[in-house]
Amino acid sequence: MSLDKIGQDEWVEQRNARAAQRGPLARALARLEQANPLLVAGVLLLLAALVPLTTSNDYIIRVAGNVCLFGLLALGLNVVVGYAGLLDLGYVAFYGIGGYGYAMLSSSQFGLHLPAWISIPLVVAVAALFGLLLGLPSLRLTGDYLAIVSLGFGQIFVLLANSMDKVNLPWSEAPLNLTGGPNGITDLDPIHIFGMRLTSVTHYFYLLLLALALIWLVLHHINSSRVGRAWRAIREDTLAAETMGIPVRRLKLLAFAIGAGVAGLSGSIYTAWQTAVFPSNFDVTLLITLYAMVVLGGAGSQLGAIAGALLLSVIPELLRGPDTARLLFSGGIVAMTLLLTRPRWRGAALLAAVLVFGLLVKLVLGALLPDLLGAPAQPASAGLAGLAQRWLVFPQNPTLVGNIAFVLVIGLLMLVSRVHAPRLRFGLLLPTLYLLAFVWETRLAAEPSVTRLLFFGAILVLLMTYRPHGLFGKPRVEVV
Amino acid sequence: MDAFFNQLPQQLVNGLTLGAVYALIALGYSMVYGILQLLNFAHGDVYMIGAFVGYGVLTVLAPRSGLLLPVWAIIPIMLLVAMLLSGLLGILIEWFAYRPLRNAPRIAPLISALGVSFFIQNAVLLTLSASYRTVRTEALLSPRLGIDLGPARISAVRILVIATAIVLMFALDHLVRRTRLGRSMRAVAIDREAAAMMGVDVDRVIVTTFFIGSALAGAAGVLIGLAFTQVWHLMGFTAGLKGFTAAVVGGIGNIPGAMLGGLLLGLAESQAVGFISPTNNDQNPIVVLVLVLLVRPTGLLGARIQQKV
Repeated sequence: MSLDKIGQDEWVEQRNARAAQRGPLARALARLEQANPLLVAGVLLLLAALVPLTTSNDYIIRVAGNVCLFGLLALGLNVVVGYAGLLDLGYVAFYGIGGYGYAMLSSSQFGLHLPAWISIPLVVAVAALFGLLLGLPSLRLTGDYLAIVSLGFGQIFVLLANSMDKVNLPWSEAPLNLTGGPNGITDLDPIHIFGMRLTSVTHYFYLLLLALALIWLVLHHINSSRVGRAWRAIREDTLAAETMGIPVRRLKLLAFAIGAGVAGLSGSIYTAWQTAVFPSNFDVTLLITLYAMVVLGGAGSQLGAIAGALLLSVIPELLRGPDTARLLFSGGIVAMTLLLTRPRWRGAALLAAVLVFGLLVKLVLGALLPDLLGAPAQPASAGLAGLAQRWLVFPQNPTLVGNIAFVLVIGLLMLVSRVHAPRLRFGLLLPTLYLLAFVWETRLAAEPSVTRLLFFGAILVLLMTYRPHGLFGKPRVEVV
Repeated sequence: MDAFFNQLPQQLVNGLTLGAVYALIALGYSMVYGILQLLNFAHGDVYMIGAFVGYGVLTVLAPRSGLLLPVWAIIPIMLLVAMLLSGLLGILIEWFAYRPLRNAPRIAPLISALGVSFFIQNAVLLTLSASYRTVRTEALLSPRLGIDLGPARISAVRILVIATAIVLMFALDHLVRRTRLGRSMRAVAIDREAAAMMGVDVDRVIVTTFFIGSALAGAAGVLIGLAFTQVWHLMGFTAGLKGFTAAVVGGIGNIPGAMLGGLLLGLAESQAVGFISPTNNDQNPIVVLVLVLLVRPTGLLGARIQQKV
């Protein structure tokens, strides 16, 4: 903290000293933040481009393609929520407009078989227009009302997509089939560009990667320009921004339009890949998933949006196999316990205590009430997994007991998070961790799709209460 | 046209029933918004939990073999237990998901609320599965009971729903306007800091507001369960959206506004169901919302917001 030089700021010195004291993970993240974002992006994209060359497993390439798709969507959502600070809950509707637009223009639905290089830009323009239209009434509304109106817009889109397969026109007898209703539109043309016909997963992966790179670059440039600075000003304090002469209305509409355009692009490429589009693709679950990705990565940071998309696409895929899922889950619990306890040996002691507790529970229940115990539903034989299963107790009625344990665990976790007395915390964590492992084996592992959704919901709440700026975002201070 | 007039009274009755329930849900939203300026997305899911609790109580007290208690005892027990548990759930949600975010940027509690809502829906999906539960109202009130008012028939269940909703709303109005607690709630809604300086325990008022709002939502859940007999994990989402819309249409933060908004929305929905299409009524609340907000951005009875510099 030397103040020899005139103009040196004491707060900045203190901040640097504080930063130097943080753990290795935080330091690595900070160094990543300071690196040239274009360089970081370039390296990541290059690594991604090598993925299809390293594996011929179509499943992995499809997952990689999904990561790119979600990355695109997250980047678009990041523009609206992260840069301009507008809570747009109808974002998935633009994704749907992109999808249905492509489906209507490049399929046998209306006999139009427009080539992709015409239909996709058209669809992006239409989606951006709709973004503008949604933005218009929002200008008169404060942030909370915008949330409801945009949520309503998203719902209306799905409803219309579901019901517009029999539109009655006054000038014709037969009803018009606009969107195919709940069965959607199928048999879409695959994309033909530059003389190539894109049919395989690898083709679409590269197309999505290219689109991702392009959008990332374009958005980075927009964000580093006056527009980006104005957006940040609007996000921090709209009234002050307006006072400074920033055209708030125009910029809000621009944010909406750009976000919608990106979503439209993603939608059109996605439906071309799937060669079909259904209304159920665009539901609230997808919205929550996207929000979880952007929030996890850090709203306002493009690298964060990509990181969030990567993590939340890959982890649910890893959770599909019960053995990898168990490893991931218990590994995650162990890692978190060790990371979050200071000094570290307390965390290790806690884990050891939990193991002992589990054995005790098994012994006591086995001795006193052996009739209650049964066998695991999915016996795992291999070493560590088998040990884990032998350590746990399995009741005769795993569903019921597991459900009760689930509710208990939630209550205990909430209690533990707000209790700070060390011994009480230790005492509470013991049954909590044991019950977590128990609930995993009996209920969560049995239903991976619901577990994934629980995970996303929990991420949103926990991140907002503990680290609202996510992984790569900048912590914001609300000046009251 | 004849069909319109013939059906009108019945649709009015349906509209009143729906409107009463939407008003109860909207009240919870309005109260919480008035005090915290927070849109509690999880409110709809508290309503859903209330409906499930009511279903559970009914299943215990009215098994197939016969009623364990007389009808006039079972229904109040259902309501009380559901209201209590929903209120407690509301308090829990506030304590865990909103209290740490009192001083955070406005977007943070909204996203947290989204997360809570999603989590509760999927927790119910995990523990209770996705199947629709049927509330056996006919075990309590025979479907033949009811009054005929001209061409309209009001069944006993609907009378119960409307009457209970009216009683609860009167009770709330009495609480807010004539008790000390109500005065504290109004004070905190007007200016939190000044109320704290005047000796109001702001945290306690907030907790009580959440309890009351969530209890009302729980009651609404039980009533809807009795009236429409279907309970499932996603019912909170649609009802929450409609309750939202009702609160906003009436002017959010405004208790009479919430009641008015609920009524209007219920009537609009029943008219649409009766005359436009029975399957396509979900978007009408949104359309009504957008129209009202375009004309009066703060809702029908809402105060004109002046931006303070």
